[in-house]
Formats: sequence, structure tokens, C-alpha cells
Amino acid sequence: MAENTIVLGMADLMVIRAPVKLVTLGLGSCIGLVVYDSTARVAGMAHIMLPSSRGLMGSEKIGKFADTAVPALIDAMEKQGAVKSRIKAKIAGGAQMFALPGMSADFLTVGAKNVSETKKRLALLRIALIASDTGGNKGRTIEFSTSNWMLKVKTLGKGVSEI
Amino acid sequence: MSDIASFNERQLDAIKEVGNIGTGNAATALSGLLSRMIHMDVPETELVSIYELAEHYGDPMQIVGAVFVRSLGGFQCSLIFIQKEEDANLMVELLLKQQFGTFIPVNEIPQEMTDSALTEVGNIVLSSFLNAINILLGTRHQISVPGVAHDMLSSILDVVASIYGQMGETALLVNTELSAEGLEGGRKISGHIILIPDPDSLELLLRKLKVL
Repeated sequence: MAENTIVLGMADLMVIRAPVKLVTLGLGSCIGLVVYDSTARVAGMAHIMLPSSRGLMGSEKIGKFADTAVPALIDAMEKQGAVKSRIKAKIAGGAQMFALPGMSADFLTVGAKNVSETKKRLALLRIALIASDTGGNKGRTIEFSTSNWMLKVKTLGKGVSEI
Repeated sequence: MSDIASFNERQLDAIKEVGNIGTGNAATALSGLLSRMIHMDVPETELVSIYELAEHYGDPMQIVGAVFVRSLGGFQCSLIFIQKEEDANLMVELLLKQQFGTFIPVNEIPQEMTDSALTEVGNIVLSSFLNAINILLGTRHQISVPGVAHDMLSSILDVVASIYGQMGETALLVNTELSAEGLEGGRKISGHIILIPDPDSLELLLRKLKVL
């Protein structure tokens, strides 16, 4: 069966049945979070931009913040027939694109905070995080395929790795 | 914090004028560095969805060279000087040729030297921009050490989303294009300066411009 390719934009969140390829282009400090249940053949992805909604929730997209995206994604997975104890997670992204020696600003290190908040939220829901490629100072393009449940991570100058 | 969506035409125009004055000074600096005439576009004040920043400025997957500085003091903001990779390379070649008198293709120049040349140009251009606007506003400022990156446009612009994302879904940016034309082979170098005011500095900016 041919795989449909779905490209997720900033703050998008989606859960879909296999076969499918889920793609996110050019993650910098953002996180690409993939979750799947290979038995129920359901997969989901979120493009997380910031760690915490700080209670702010207006018209905001649910996938924007780690603290809202992770529970929403798991919830949507269960609605599609995934079983929580079988769900596995993989993450990529959370780079620091610019380092300014001697300068500290929240937004410069938001990548690391995105990583730690996403991990924390997954742990709270007891979701197994089985692979990650995070941090550093390079952007990443990711591609998750339900044909082998692997996440391809492309980094400029470093080629492609599969996690 | 002022609500960006409620800014009127007069306020957006006043902010654009800040861009104009900054860019004028930046263009002069770049012209001096490259010994070329620099063409500058009229700056625009842009309200851009934080979900579509990369699409707004081009192809999200385009590889760009970017220099980033942060300015602290009265009017707090960040600035990016951003160029398509081929333009950044061309500029480095031009600069080194001027410096050493011989042409060296960019792929024979060590990456550290390319980065350092790019950083230096970015730093001079952005410092000139900042000096002019701080004189206009009557504010004092300190500028950070510059940061440099080569990567996908989309990854680079995550930094803008991180600045504006916590308080809403729209970023207020002042965008200008600088270009040097008539290079060998009819080639052209261009670059964008994007001014990213801190969201909580916008009120001060409007007050200083006497439009609040």
C-alpha cells in the first residue's frame, strides 16, 4: 500500500492510521514529537514551538506548547484505538541556532527547555521515550514512516540518521 | 504590553521610519565595506503569523547564512542579517578579494574564515543600524557579541517564533532588503535586515516616536 505523505507546519498536531509518512521541515529550536502504536497501527506527530502555555490558551494551536501538545497527542492516539501502554515516543529538534557569548535570554535557550518539558510531559503520562536526537546548533528535517516505524533525521552537513 | 493587532496605520508608519533610518546607516556601512553602491528598498513594518514566518520570507528549506545580534538598553530588540547561502558566499569572496587582492573561491576558504567574515559584515551592518535608531530615539544601548548560523530558513526563524510565541500568534517585524548590483557576470548580492523588537519594548518605541 502506498504511503501518503503529510507535512506538518508550526504548531500542527496530527494522529493518523498507517500507512503514512509524517514530515516536518526545518526544525530549529522546535521539537518534532512522534508517537506510535505499531500494534494498533496508529501514529501521531506534533511540531512543538515552546515549552509552556503558562495557562495562556486562547485561540492558540494546541500543538504549540509542550505542556498542551503531549496530552492532546496521546488523547488523540487513544481515540484512534492506540493503547497507552503500547505507545512509544521519539523526539528530534530543540537546537540552539544562535549562541551569543555573554548573553542570556530565555528565547535563545528555548530549544533545551522544549526538550526537557516534552520529556517531562511524556514521563508524566508514562509514555516510553525510546529514541531522541536533540540539542546542538543545527536545524533538522524529520520524516517518520509507518512502514518501519523509524524516524529519519536530516541535518545539514551531517547527513541522515535513523532513530 | 501593547496589543500588536490594535496598532494603527500611523504607528506602523512611524515604526517603518525607524527601519528607514537604521537601514540608511547600515547601507552606508555595507557600501564602505564592499566599495560598491548599495541599493536599499523601502523598509516595511510587517505583522507576520508566527506559524508562517519561513513561508513569509521565502522557501522554508532554503539554506541561508544569518548573523544575529541582541541589543539591550532603552529599546530592547534583536536583529538578523540574513542572506541566501550563495549571496553570503559571493559577499565573502568579494570581501576577501578586496582584502588580499586575489580571488579565492569560497569552497577553498576554511569554514571558520567564511564564518568570521560573514559575522564581521553582519556585525558592522547591524551595529550601524542600531546606532542610527538609538540616536533617533535618544536611547542608550549595548550590543551583544554576534551569533552566526548557516541553515534552513525555517530553522533560523524559529528564533523569531520563540520571541513572539509566548505572548501571541503574530510577530511585528521591520524588514528591509539591501543589495549590491553589477558584480562580475551581472551577479547581485542581496541581504535582508530584520528588526525584531522585544514585544515589551514596543510601547516605549511608540512613545519615543510620539505616536502613543
